[in-house]
Amino acid sequence: MSNSTSQDKVNAEQPPQQQKPQVLEEDDEFEDFPVEDWSQEEAEQSTANGGNEHLWEESWDDDDAAEDFSKQLK
Amino acid sequence: MAPQTPVLDQFLVSIAELVKNRDGTKLQDYLQIEPPLSDIYLRMVEELRLRYKPGPQSDTELQQRCEVLVPHTKGGSPWSAFPTFMRLYFSFLRDVNVENLLETYKLLRALLNQCVLALGDSSHGVIVLPTVLYLSKVMAKLAMGLDRRPELIAHILRMEGGPKQEDSMEKVTLVEQSANVVREAFIKCLTDRSGNPASLGKPEGKRVGIYLMANLCLKLLFQCGKLRNAEQMFASISAQSPPLMHFPASQRVTYLYYLGRYLFSNNLFHPARIALQAAYDQCHRQALSQRTLILTYLIPCNIIMGRFPSQTLLQRPEGQPLAEHFVPLCQLIIRGDYLAFRRHLSFDSPTSRWFGKNGILLTLRNRCEILVWRSFCRKVFIHGGFHGKADSPTPPHLYLQKVLFATKWLQSRSEHLVPNGTSHSSVKPQYGSQTISEPIDREYAGLENPQSVNSSDGDNQLMGKYGDYLAPLGFFDASGQFIKNMPGKLVDAFVKPDYDEYELDPYADESIVQEQPAILMGEIESILSSLITQGLMRGYLTHQTPRLAITGARQRGALPTGFPNVWETIFKRESEDNSVPGWVKPKATMGAPAVGGGRVLHMTGAPPVGMQ
Repeated sequence: MSNSTSQDKVNAEQPPQQQKPQVLEEDDEFEDFPVEDWSQEEAEQSTANGGNEHLWEESWDDDDAAEDFSKQLK
Repeated sequence: MAPQTPVLDQFLVSIAELVKNRDGTKLQDYLQIEPPLSDIYLRMVEELRLRYKPGPQSDTELQQRCEVLVPHTKGGSPWSAFPTFMRLYFSFLRDVNVENLLETYKLLRALLNQCVLALGDSSHGVIVLPTVLYLSKVMAKLAMGLDRRPELIAHILRMEGGPKQEDSMEKVTLVEQSANVVREAFIKCLTDRSGNPASLGKPEGKRVGIYLMANLCLKLLFQCGKLRNAEQMFASISAQSPPLMHFPASQRVTYLYYLGRYLFSNNLFHPARIALQAAYDQCHRQALSQRTLILTYLIPCNIIMGRFPSQTLLQRPEGQPLAEHFVPLCQLIIRGDYLAFRRHLSFDSPTSRWFGKNGILLTLRNRCEILVWRSFCRKVFIHGGFHGKADSPTPPHLYLQKVLFATKWLQSRSEHLVPNGTSHSSVKPQYGSQTISEPIDREYAGLENPQSVNSSDGDNQLMGKYGDYLAPLGFFDASGQFIKNMPGKLVDAFVKPDYDEYELDPYADESIVQEQPAILMGEIESILSSLITQGLMRGYLTHQTPRLAITGARQRGALPTGFPNVWETIFKRESEDNSVPGWVKPKATMGAPAVGGGRVLHMTGAPPVGMQ
């Protein structure tokens, strides 16, 4: 199933004038960049608060939602 | 009279001029091989076919015409690899038949091999660097395409008959073969001795191609699953390459992506995270597919180290496709149900497919389960532990019996969820580990239920199992004579119903089955010891009355003391060494404060180098 889907995708991406058979990249491959170089400004996200966005959750412990547990342990 | 070749003549003049001017970029532009070729190339191909028909005679003539392309400097050795390369280029154009992709691949590999030989020349080699890169890319594309769709050359392999075996063996390793050719080119770039010493600063000469070739080689090695072959490359880069910061952003980001993935696959999550984070930070913000792929590995590094992707990250365009995979995983870790976690990532689960496809399934399964157990123990402690009292000298503690009950409750609930017991993770074994389920090997499937041997459905099963004993090929009679036995004939004439006494089944002893709770408690103690050893829980265990005691909790409280923040704990331990093997940083200059080998340098404003 997934195989045929990905092949369809490859076919769809194929420019029509291409003479070679459809053997080009799959979607999960690290593609070449269209430009060779860029400045760091072009790499940074334009954010409202100057780039200090909260990207990682360091405190994720769950302190309450475990009623099931509490019943079992009484 | 031999046919005229005006286009070829003009082409050769232009090539000679480009070589003389050392214009590698333009030379590559001239040496087109990929269809569709423009009209002028098609006319040249026609000329070649008419004037230089395949054969040794025309090879020699064509070679002679190519010899003049190389400048003959006084005293210098001629660049003999280049004329041969040009002859191969012309025969490639003349002979290639893209209907036969296997043959095309072989011709292309031979052409690239010769070009890499030409690259090896110390004074002229650099001229063909762009051509080596171009041919490598075309070959990589072809090899990887054929690797994904072997049916494209299956009919050729079938037609060739004869050395079929050999060819099909070769087909499997097309990508690896390509990687080996590209690695040769990489080595020629890395070991170039011209200009400044390599380690001092900006790359010169062929060294500008180091990361272009390395990245292509890594792409191929990842494709064919030969990551071990990359190790030597990273070691050579560490030893000989100029600092990465002097190379253009596209090369830096691509290299850091592959380096990060390599480190990840070697379970070096902290350096992998640093490399991948740098790749993400430096990646062009519009390069969404690349950013998504970097996050595909950066997020697991962080999860394993105890830090989950935030909503902000997963709502970014490059993060959105990943949310459906990582959010449920993180929720399962928070929930603390190890059986649900295992079901989610079991081989036959639809939710594990994406992780498997990206090569992160086993790592996540093996590395995150300890976090699940931590969440589980934490919850049991919240609801069933003694949290300490201001006026009591007794430290906060938790009886492990409660962890045991909770584990059994998870197990019984899991059986409800999977009524037929189809999932291995939910089947409670009758012996052996109570918490670890191994996928059942068909050979050992019978051990699942040791009693099944007794409830056999007849002699056939017994004969199948004990046939060599009950009906041997022959036997010695009372007088010591060897008597041959009829095949399948019982020597003692009857089959006993019970051969348990002959069983070499270490689990056949039923008393072990009775001891399940003791086994489970032993395993729970072992899991908690592991959590404490890794710093994910703080306190000590008592064995006689199995108990976890949390000490030093007066200041901060029992929960934060006994279950410290995972990320802070792991990060503190790991960041004692921030070096990233394979990432070359600039050496500390005289007078400036020494940059510790592993400091992450920000490359903002680093001037890039261009191709020649």
